[in-house]
Amino acid sequence: MATAVTTATLAPSSGLARRVVELIPGLLLLAAVGYAGKFIEQSIAAYTKSHHITFPNIEYVLWAIVIGLIIANTTGIPRIFQPGVATYEFWLKAGIVLLGSRFLLGDVLHLGGISLLLVAFAITLSFTFMHFIGRAFKLKPKLTSLLAIGSSICGVSAIIAAKPAIDADDEDASYAIAAILALGAISLFTFPLIGHSLHLSDKAYGLWAGLAVDNTAEATAAGALYSDAAGKVAVLAKTSRNALIGFVVLGYALYWSSRGEARAIGNKAAFLWRKFPKFVLGFLLISLLATVGFFAKPQLASLANLSRWAFLLTFAGVGLRTSLRELGKQGWRPFVVGAIGEVFIALVTLGLVYGADHFLHL
Amino acid sequence: MSESTAAPPRRGLSLDVYAVTLALALALLVRLNLIPPIKW
Repeated sequence: MATAVTTATLAPSSGLARRVVELIPGLLLLAAVGYAGKFIEQSIAAYTKSHHITFPNIEYVLWAIVIGLIIANTTGIPRIFQPGVATYEFWLKAGIVLLGSRFLLGDVLHLGGISLLLVAFAITLSFTFMHFIGRAFKLKPKLTSLLAIGSSICGVSAIIAAKPAIDADDEDASYAIAAILALGAISLFTFPLIGHSLHLSDKAYGLWAGLAVDNTAEATAAGALYSDAAGKVAVLAKTSRNALIGFVVLGYALYWSSRGEARAIGNKAAFLWRKFPKFVLGFLLISLLATVGFFAKPQLASLANLSRWAFLLTFAGVGLRTSLRELGKQGWRPFVVGAIGEVFIALVTLGLVYGADHFLHL
Repeated sequence: MSESTAAPPRRGLSLDVYAVTLALALALLVRLNLIPPIKW
């Protein structure tokens, strides 16, 4: 009896220890790839400076993503590294919470409020548009719903949150996720180019990236590729967008259950809380503490740097988990619908950001 | 229709909670000067 109790008590902790050990190789790979990106950026900057060469600074973000992409699509990621590499999203969320230290709560409310306003407008337009083109391309209605949720709110997390709520197929969810990931990878390289060609300010570009790029990791990277300040704003805009995930998923769940094609929702407040991304609260708490002077100035600098290190692991993970071969297998129709939707959303949000910059003075 | 009994996305939820816990713990360590200044 005593042995049975001991075994039952120890089993979870030894399981946890084994899981932690399993994460180490992948974490080391994330750190190595991210640090290699930082090392390349600094080496190029030092070389061009010492040789008086004018060369645009290519952020470590791009190098880390490219190195990750090369590894993932040539040698592939051996099984031993996979659990640790999958933690990139954990580092993203921890990094976002710590980034709260770089915002005064007033800025969060100002920019976050503008973001929410623009998101609400963009969501309404993009849902209507996605359903229209989904029908035109004869996609299954639930696949169109997933693509609309993924492209207007929060990428993969939103699709994962919505899938059980609207009783969508696994196949539909994997199509939608693949399309969103492929489009996210493309936006990483196109958004900074467009931003520079339109001479967008850091704030306007960051807001645009945060509103238009779907996945939080890619939105953060697309912002950081432009500038540090743009990256900060992109994270804030994307976080505001993420906060709406529960409402949109609830709306879709109610729609599909009213048609008898999904289970009914009982307690709507509990549903909203379950779907609400908790890291948004952590971000607001750290921002509040920074605003009331809980941290001294050097401590704020340390928190900002901790956030940068967490993002470094995230950007390495973005490259390492993007398998171009897997994305190519998913068929062209969801991708085309997603792509048309993305271009539409990118244009609409660009127009909204231009308007907001003009009238609301970002 | 019965109420949704589908398992909530526990992985996503616990991931958020763990990430927030780690970030707040780090912020506290920084506040109490229990870790050296972090450089970039």
